[in-house]
Amino acid sequence: MNIIVCVKQVLDPEIPPAKFKIDPEAKQVVPPAGVPPVISVYDERALEGACRLKDKNKGKITVLSVGSEKAADVIKNAIAMGADDGFVLSDPAFENLDSFGTAYVLSKAIQKIGAYDLVLCGRQAADWGAGQVGSILAEILGIPVITLACDIQAAGTNIQVKRIVSDGYEILEAPMPSLVTVSSEIGLPRLPAGVRLMMAKKKQIPVWKAQDIGAEAAQMDKGNAHTEITGLSVPDRKTECEIIAGATPSEAAANLVSKLANLI
Amino acid sequence: MSPVSATYFGISGYVIFWVMFIIAISLFAQRAYFLFRIMCLGKQESRFGNIGQRIMNMFVEVIPQRCTLKSVTGKDLAGLGHAFMFWGFSFFLISYIVFIGFAEGLGLYPYIMGGTFEEVYFSILDFAGLFVIIAIVWAAIRRFIVRPERLEMSVEAGVIMLMVFGLMALHFIIESFDFAALGETSGLPPISKAIAGYLAGTGIPKDTMFAISHGAWWLHYALILGFAIYIPRSKHLHVLAAAFNVFFRPIGPKVVIEPIPMEALEALENGDESVSLGASKIQDFKWKDMLDFYSCAVCGRCHVNCPAHISGKSLSPKEVIHDLKEHLMEVGPGLLAAKARASADVEAPAEGQSKSMIGDVVDEEKIWACTTCGACQEVCPVGIEHIRKIIQMRQYLMLVENKMPESAQLMLRNMQTRGNPWAGAQSLRLRGDWTNDMGLKILGECEENPSTLLWVGCTGALIDRNVLAILSLANVLKAAGVDFCVLGEAEACCGDPARRAGYEFQFQLSAEENIETLKNYNIKEVITSCPHCFNALKNEYPAYGAEFKVVHYTEVIADLIKQGKLKLTNNVDSLIAYHDPCYLSRYNEIYEEPRQIIQNMPKARFKEMERSKLNTFCCGGGGGHMWIEEQHGTTKINHVRMDEVIGTGVDTVVTSCPYCLQMLEEGIEQKGVKDSLKAKDLIEVVETAMKQS
Repeated sequence: MNIIVCVKQVLDPEIPPAKFKIDPEAKQVVPPAGVPPVISVYDERALEGACRLKDKNKGKITVLSVGSEKAADVIKNAIAMGADDGFVLSDPAFENLDSFGTAYVLSKAIQKIGAYDLVLCGRQAADWGAGQVGSILAEILGIPVITLACDIQAAGTNIQVKRIVSDGYEILEAPMPSLVTVSSEIGLPRLPAGVRLMMAKKKQIPVWKAQDIGAEAAQMDKGNAHTEITGLSVPDRKTECEIIAGATPSEAAANLVSKLANLI
Repeated sequence: MSPVSATYFGISGYVIFWVMFIIAISLFAQRAYFLFRIMCLGKQESRFGNIGQRIMNMFVEVIPQRCTLKSVTGKDLAGLGHAFMFWGFSFFLISYIVFIGFAEGLGLYPYIMGGTFEEVYFSILDFAGLFVIIAIVWAAIRRFIVRPERLEMSVEAGVIMLMVFGLMALHFIIESFDFAALGETSGLPPISKAIAGYLAGTGIPKDTMFAISHGAWWLHYALILGFAIYIPRSKHLHVLAAAFNVFFRPIGPKVVIEPIPMEALEALENGDESVSLGASKIQDFKWKDMLDFYSCAVCGRCHVNCPAHISGKSLSPKEVIHDLKEHLMEVGPGLLAAKARASADVEAPAEGQSKSMIGDVVDEEKIWACTTCGACQEVCPVGIEHIRKIIQMRQYLMLVENKMPESAQLMLRNMQTRGNPWAGAQSLRLRGDWTNDMGLKILGECEENPSTLLWVGCTGALIDRNVLAILSLANVLKAAGVDFCVLGEAEACCGDPARRAGYEFQFQLSAEENIETLKNYNIKEVITSCPHCFNALKNEYPAYGAEFKVVHYTEVIADLIKQGKLKLTNNVDSLIAYHDPCYLSRYNEIYEEPRQIIQNMPKARFKEMERSKLNTFCCGGGGGHMWIEEQHGTTKINHVRMDEVIGTGVDTVVTSCPYCLQMLEEGIEQKGVKDSLKAKDLIEVVETAMKQS
């Protein structure tokens, strides 16, 4: 089973809100100096999903990441977790792409890799949270897509996916190759086995540029973008704190319940 | 007449003597060789360097009995008894060689006996025998009637005691009946002759007396030989193994964790499945570990000093060592046979491995309960290295099985993604809110880099409470005119929690990365705040190429006070107890400096805790346990310690470790003594004492 996992490096979500700065004019996030980016949390789960499939069905995991050359760290971590190969897609032309542009770049890289049975993405990125790249990528590749997976199993030539819905889950099947976006319910990403940690460290991660994957400049041109950011702002967070009083704890609890009931 | 020169049933005494001797020695040698071969099942390890120092250790530890006397307290005087038995028995051992071997066996009787030498030596033996008998009776009362927690009722112990008692009693019987028969009832040796005096008055015929003396002599000789046969087959094997174990104990750092060699890794990458990481089978341990097993006398000192055991966890270092020894003796012969077949190129599965070492012999719960505080090793009279066995088993679980407590996994993942074991971005190290006004020199950002680095440590950099202590440290160092810099976000975790948790490669990666950073900035000296960083940087980084000097801040501050560069002028006016961090006091023997600092504080009164210095008690945070959850349903280790602190009646407990500080504060909170007791880092008190008000 050949699995391709698309991962993204994002601004560390653990930085305190005070450090989070944006440039409203350029409509961009200003990364604080010296904060090393981390792998997007959902992508980590996608990787875990891939590793579980590999544990059961053997095969090969290839990891792709569009971003700066620093993304090699993320790929190395993926290799430590169980991936076999990985490529960084980095080119000035890839910067500030929208979901369509990113999906296009990934599709070109996937076509270059060639044979695959399954493409896995995180349900959405931890930074912008658009959740579109997976679906668009499937569209470009012309393969079925199942989103929000919490469990993935191989079933003959099909892939069987447990998909989260608002009041439970549904089980879907699709022929391979397919694309599945993974939700956090799949489970905690594994700690890399010790030996793989050292192997990954030594590994050289190739960087593919636009010309390496045959990406056409016109497809990535700003003017051709399908989406436009019209404004960017940091949400105003207001917190009001009210201590619910009561003579006894049970009375306080009753007061809290009636307060909550009034809010709805 | 010598008993050996007589003839018994037509057979010369000499023949009987030497036949007995050869049989006993053969049985002894057979067992010794067997044990040696079992020991060699362990992996290679070099413990032969520093021979001079090693011989010295033996002289210092074994002959003056420092090994057992060091743990003698008012509550546990057993070490004293052991020392008397050891010394007493040593005199007898020499007498066996000189008087029984040379004089009797070789017939050198006329040259050795009958002079002042014999008189004096037998007088010494008289007293030695008396002391040994007193010690044996005391030991028997202790073990079988008083029954202290650390000892178990054991048949073996009883047999050994009877044997030793028998040897001593026979000595007096031989001597006193002989003297009585000869009519010598006064002079030296005094005790034997005094008894002879009594015997002479009983009217036992002279011939009977000689016969009793001779019979006792042969019985005595047989018992000595029996002892030689029995010892290597019993728990008293420690008599033979312990001295070697002391000889081969680590020189330098007390806990040695061997780096996993790169060759092993390469072999693994190439699919060689015979390579093992950590220890999952008994033969995965090193030969010194096997010698450790032989040396254990099951005295239980480790058992009663282990914080995990004291707080109700299932771990007992004594049981771990004992169970591993039993396991080794059980599967060892099968392994030897398998080894022999393998060298004869016959494929066969290893025999006797039906039990799995991890799980059946030592369960995972025990393996994870250890805080690596080192209390067990410190009190062990025979130099057993418990901790590295635990860590080797953790290595296997971590590196091969990927099995670990979830809390450990979270900590290690943080270390991988963010370079520190805590949650929180690495970028917060020495950044922003709290160092802005301090004008700290950050490496790479200041014009001239000082060659002294203040190594902040993850906990000091990221945890609010511990940040305060680092601020105090920075303030004090600046006030004393120390030119230093900090690394800021380029400082990654030292790797200690990963190494103690068995995740060896993460430690290796962290060490290599940090050493490279420090080399690039040409750092010559590192001042650390956290004793765990201190231990890793000082004792473990050199194996990865570190060449800088590492000091703990307590050493620096004590030195600054001595030089007069730091003056403590403000009244502290507190009753202070100092909680020694294990990794500072026990691991690195830095315990005088903090006390000197406290003594220099005006109006500070100091109260020593009962468990202090080398025998300090763990706060519960070592060995990765700042993150790894404690076993459910057991007392928290820091609460045990807090009860001890409260018992001293102090108003301030100071320490010099960020983990200890957190643990003590949590203890104060939980015990509800916030109003009467404060926990502080020593450096915070130094800062208060230093400030000009």
